[in-house]
Amino acid sequence: MGDSAMDSTLPPPESAVPEGTLFSMTDVFLFSLIVGLLSYWFLFRKKKEEIPEFTKIQPTTSSVRESSFVEKMKKTGRNIVVFYGSQTGTAEEFANRLSKDAHRYGMRGMSADPEEYDLSDLSRLSEIDNSLAVFCMATYGEGDPTDNAQDFYDWLQETDTDLTGLKFAVFGLGNKTYEHFNAMGKYVDKRLEQLGAQRMFELGMGDDDGNLEEDFITWREQFWPAVCEHFGVEATGEESSIRQYELVVHTDINMNKVYTGEMGRLKSYESQKPPFDAKNPFLAPVTLNRKLNQGGERHLMHLELDISGSKIRYESGDHVAVYPANDTSLVNQIGEILGADLDVIMSLNNLDEESNKKHPFPCPTTYRTALTYYLDITNPPRTNVLYELAQYATDPNEQEHLRKMASSAAEGKTLYLSWVLEARRNILAILQDVPSLRPPIDHLCELLPRLQARYYSIASSSKVHPHAIHICAVVVEYETKTGRLNKGVATTWLKNKVPNENGHKLTVPMYVRKSQFRLPFKPSTPVIMIGPGTGIAPFVGFVQERAWLKQQGKDVGETVLYYGCRHENEDYLYREELAQFHKEGALTQLNVAFSRDQAQKVYVQHLLKKNKEGVWKLIHEGNAHIYVCGDARSMARDVQNTFYEIVAEFGSMTQPQAVDYVKKLMTKGRYSLDVWS
Amino acid sequence: MEGSKTHSSESMPGDLSEALKEATKEVHEQAESTEFMKNFQRGQVSLQEFKMVLTSLYYIYSALEEEIERNKDHPAYIPVYFPAELHRKTALQEDLEYFYGPLWREEISCPESTQKYVNRLHYVGQHEPELLVAHAYTRYLGDLSGGQVLKKIAQKALHLPNTGEGLEFFTFEGVSNATKFKQLYRSRMNSIEMDPATKKRVLEEAKRAFLLNIQVFDELQKLVSQCHENGHPAQHKPELRTRGTSGAHEHGPAPVKEGEKTLMKHTGMLPSTPLVRWILVVSFLVTTVAVGLFAM
Repeated sequence: MGDSAMDSTLPPPESAVPEGTLFSMTDVFLFSLIVGLLSYWFLFRKKKEEIPEFTKIQPTTSSVRESSFVEKMKKTGRNIVVFYGSQTGTAEEFANRLSKDAHRYGMRGMSADPEEYDLSDLSRLSEIDNSLAVFCMATYGEGDPTDNAQDFYDWLQETDTDLTGLKFAVFGLGNKTYEHFNAMGKYVDKRLEQLGAQRMFELGMGDDDGNLEEDFITWREQFWPAVCEHFGVEATGEESSIRQYELVVHTDINMNKVYTGEMGRLKSYESQKPPFDAKNPFLAPVTLNRKLNQGGERHLMHLELDISGSKIRYESGDHVAVYPANDTSLVNQIGEILGADLDVIMSLNNLDEESNKKHPFPCPTTYRTALTYYLDITNPPRTNVLYELAQYATDPNEQEHLRKMASSAAEGKTLYLSWVLEARRNILAILQDVPSLRPPIDHLCELLPRLQARYYSIASSSKVHPHAIHICAVVVEYETKTGRLNKGVATTWLKNKVPNENGHKLTVPMYVRKSQFRLPFKPSTPVIMIGPGTGIAPFVGFVQERAWLKQQGKDVGETVLYYGCRHENEDYLYREELAQFHKEGALTQLNVAFSRDQAQKVYVQHLLKKNKEGVWKLIHEGNAHIYVCGDARSMARDVQNTFYEIVAEFGSMTQPQAVDYVKKLMTKGRYSLDVWS
Repeated sequence: MEGSKTHSSESMPGDLSEALKEATKEVHEQAESTEFMKNFQRGQVSLQEFKMVLTSLYYIYSALEEEIERNKDHPAYIPVYFPAELHRKTALQEDLEYFYGPLWREEISCPESTQKYVNRLHYVGQHEPELLVAHAYTRYLGDLSGGQVLKKIAQKALHLPNTGEGLEFFTFEGVSNATKFKQLYRSRMNSIEMDPATKKRVLEEAKRAFLLNIQVFDELQKLVSQCHENGHPAQHKPELRTRGTSGAHEHGPAPVKEGEKTLMKHTGMLPSTPLVRWILVVSFLVTTVAVGLFAM
């Protein structure tokens, strides 16, 4: 390369380059640039998202944390704080949702973990205008606070701070199967008041054994109107409430894609495939439907459903669930009064795309189908429905009336109680009595709750009737204070399922829900069955089965029945069948009370008392199992009290000891209840 | 145990269900207080730990239910034979497939303590079937009680969908009311014909069952701690409000991709503020250029 001759491959000399250097100035510059850039790349490139190491012990994550939630709220312009006592995250989730809600009402909220703040600051919350402290408190274990609420709980117990000026509300999360139901929620609610704070809204008690989510939503829907009213604020901008679903009308759709009443899979009623359950009911033909009573105004009926070919199995004591349809006349009247074409095919699509619930009921479908098979149009609507509908009442007085009933002001609640609940006004009645209220039918369909399946105790034994399920029910029908005739959805519908000879089978979409109401394992164990009225249903199955066992040659123990009805000659259900069983010896004792056949009322518990010595013997020496079926409110309670008495007297125990004895029978599965209210 | 004492001269309550409850009271508390369970109850459980639990439970229930099937006509077991309501093997298989993928059988293995438990179950089922009820009682009644709380905890901590995938183990489809079912189960236990000597052995076996469970959890805890020491990806504090994003269902919606985490180590050596960074680069370039120029 010593040759200085020009060569096209060599870079042209740009400036005076001293002879002998290996690299030109440009080279050096370029080289440094590249090295510099590369160094930058390696050392300083943006790291991917840092993931903090997990630490098991709950840390105070930041050292510069505002431990005063009041200061934090002031700094961030919030007036509502929602504390949560949460173990599994549910209460926390509710707290988050509530704090977000605030925005809708022109306020600002934040959720907070009580463990991270100094709760004695509650006495200072009133420094903020229109402030409110909400508590979502879960009860844990034996009525204890959740871990993160332990300090708060201790503080509440020890303190005597004056909380005057503090406004609060509590929603408790609990479970009714536990003895200390919502203990924590109740305690916080009570204690804050004791310390001088002002309760803004009633204590909410969510029951996880029922439907916690629903309890929360119900409470929340009434909570916010109360808050708004108290602070004198209106909901921001969106006076028209927040729709959850968007209506889509289908003008050109394949009818095969339209739901006509199925609960799950499209066409599942046309091509039935086992296994059958809540989402895939079996269309059982009705083979028998006869009236059971001889007189009186009520209609008691016995139905037989054919389950052959369904592979459905059941045990006596199980429940049969049926999916009823609403009365067509009721559906038509709703359509008429709203001036809607019920045969429009539509879908209601969830605006929240992340939600699992795409539609409120199977879509696409018609309004007619929705109102007939999917929506509850007979129960008095809940306050949140009234609240949402109020906007559509064009008459200001009527609108005010609806809004008031939806509010949580004492006056409003009383009004709702009398005008809606006690008067048993269903949605049609409300539309009729509030003439300016004409909501769009699609919004109404969004608001109405789902039509629920109805459960009946099966009145047959699968040993005797393996291919049939029997039902015993009374048709619900009554006149309301407004002079309307209200009819029970399922019982009216069942009443009309009368099989006729000419071919066309009437069917009932049904499935079996297993219960734990069972005869004892050993046939020799005595049973005492108490089932007045339609409560006799499962016992018809029990007695059938005991008779069958006897026929099989088994050693069958005492089979004792206590039944009650109003009049011997009117509504003594299964009179002939029971007499027959009694004669054959399958039923060893038949005790019947006729409540209205004499001046004083005679009920099953009176008969129990008459036989108290025998009853005690069966229980204490015979290891008898007790079964109670029927009305939950008074009958079951009265019967239980009678057992306490019998046990106390013959077991020589105090009342508390007797109560304990009976409760233990329940724990050991020797005292079972199948009751409804 | 509150309530009236029976007039029996035996030292234990007449009913098997009551005797069992009393006899296992202590070990039951012990089981709830294992490190592992305490952490779980606090929501501190990682995906990896949860998978390990399910794996052990799979081996245990497979053994238990195999022995139950073998003895389903044995007079000492028939009254408590409730396969449709109680059996968990299928549910566990579904969950394992959800977390490990279709080749889950090859991915799992049986830890030592679990194997011990499994061996005992097979022994009892084959040689002392009258004691099998002790094992069924210990596991199934527990699952029906606390199991429901654990289900919620696991769902929140691991961001599992509320449609039930990954939690089939905790879902008893055949039981409409857990409390009532337990009452029924107790009445069935009490109807098993049993002489006092056998009853005593059943109580002992129940205690043994609890202890075996405790050992399984203690071993899991140890395995988990070992993993932490080896710098394996652990877990991050569960974010209770984030939505699961992963669509890869066979591996579960892991909040964190395991591979990434081992790479990311905060070095802490170099400054990270942008301004300083730029100044440094520019100075470096300028220096290099200057050196270059100077070298000319």
